[in-house]
Amino acid sequence: MAEYTKPLPAISTLNQPYWDGLKQRQMVLPYCEACDKVWYPPAPFCPDCWSRDFRWQAVSGRGVVNSWVVFHQAYFSSFKDDIPYAVAEVELEEGPRLLTNLVEVANEDIAVGMPVEVVFDDVTDEVTLAKFRPRKG
Amino acid sequence: MPAGNLKDVAAVCGVGHTAYGRKMNRSQIDLAGEAIRNALDDAGLGRDDLDGLVVSFGTPIGADADTLAYALGLKLRAYNQTWAHGRFTASSIQWAAMMVSAGLANVVACMASISFSGFRKPMMGGSGDAEGAREAGGGHGEDPVFGMTSPGAGAALVARKYFDRFGATSEQLAAVAVAFRKHASMNPNAVMQTPISVEDHQNSRFVCEPLHLLDYCLINDGAACVLVTTQERARDMAKRPVCISGMQGLPAGREEFIWTYPGFGTSQQTAFDYVPGPQPVYGMADVSPKDLDALFTYDAFSILAWTALERFGFCGQGEAAAFTQDGRIELSGELPMNTNGGLMSEGHIMGWNHQVEIVRQLRGECGERQIPNAQLIQWANAYGDSLIYRAG
Ligand SMILES: [Zn+2]
Repeated sequence: MAEYTKPLPAISTLNQPYWDGLKQRQMVLPYCEACDKVWYPPAPFCPDCWSRDFRWQAVSGRGVVNSWVVFHQAYFSSFKDDIPYAVAEVELEEGPRLLTNLVEVANEDIAVGMPVEVVFDDVTDEVTLAKFRPRKG
Repeated sequence: MPAGNLKDVAAVCGVGHTAYGRKMNRSQIDLAGEAIRNALDDAGLGRDDLDGLVVSFGTPIGADADTLAYALGLKLRAYNQTWAHGRFTASSIQWAAMMVSAGLANVVACMASISFSGFRKPMMGGSGDAEGAREAGGGHGEDPVFGMTSPGAGAALVARKYFDRFGATSEQLAAVAVAFRKHASMNPNAVMQTPISVEDHQNSRFVCEPLHLLDYCLINDGAACVLVTTQERARDMAKRPVCISGMQGLPAGREEFIWTYPGFGTSQQTAFDYVPGPQPVYGMADVSPKDLDALFTYDAFSILAWTALERFGFCGQGEAAAFTQDGRIELSGELPMNTNGGLMSEGHIMGWNHQVEIVRQLRGECGERQIPNAQLIQWANAYGDSLIYRAG
């Protein structure tokens, strides 16, 4: 496998469970026992009600494209060969929105509101990224 | 009136700037020195009168406040600065107004000095996107892991969402770029002075789609400086004071995303129908939006003119696309915007060039692009902060 040269995530003590989950083929996000909210990015307590009573919980991995853009300029040399590549903001069924790349779809077929589901991309031995592909609504 | 109300307590007594251009190959300290001296000359002040400094857009891209004090031989009693982001123009003026009101300084230079084109490595996206690489990402929605980088990409997300949610088009957005370029064509210091058409806008390449190159601001070099003092002191200086009548701070939180208003539904914002509600800046200045002679806004990207107009209630949600057509935001229109040409056509001096233009409009110094008898001008941004300036 060729060396992975794209930027890697800033993994911290706070978001480690998210990245560990992806590596195990599961998307987990913090869930607040007090107010029932799921949130992203990770925070040390619920950003809605400030309860510390939360746990990491598996989420559906399903959502819709909330918005999306196509890069025509190669800011990163490591993305040069991908130009023009799409970045989507996916709204999960549970509420949080994640930035991601879409796979198995041509740029011209992407639309706001398009139903998508997570796929796991092992980009290095340590890091798995959550990408999304179209699903039947 | 609340205790500590600063309505008209502080005023701008001088403005100064350098030439703006691309690849000027001039040191940022050199540019800053020229802008500060020009502002002091404008106010009829000398070096020893200047005892405060607020720099927006410092490390790692712009010239820092302490560096400027040291290198230029300033004698400061108080200074402050923000990190390298363009959004802090109003914050800087607000700090300066508070500094002079509290007696921390008599005259505060507010400014930025930048040489984008002289910077040795990329900083607007790509390998220079240090902020995007932080835990929880960058302030404009950057997430370099997925190639999501540069401030314009977050604006493109907002533009796509806007087009989809309100049925607007890129052709309509062109009106913003066309209007600001028209203004720049009357401004000898503007970097881009050749008028453009909607067709030119549509034919310009995509940078981050749906935004075209002509939806983007310029990347250039230059410095601009605004001197803030008390209105009382300003009355004894060379130029007619321009009073700072209203101020509204810079909001933040999960319901905010830098390039739009709450309820829009970008990043982690809840999506709902936005109604502006009372904006404190109008209450403080005791004016209503219809009293304004012009509106200036941080136009790093054309879409920000739309989200700023809607945020402050100049039109309803989703209506800015139509509102900005037919010359309404041009010099002869109902609400002239960015008569200097803005970041998109005069140059990107972090909004300091806009503050210079506002002051000159209110002094009647703008020549061909003068708004007749301008008395009241607002600086209001997509990200929610604002200033109202009044001719003194
Ligand atoms: Zn909660």
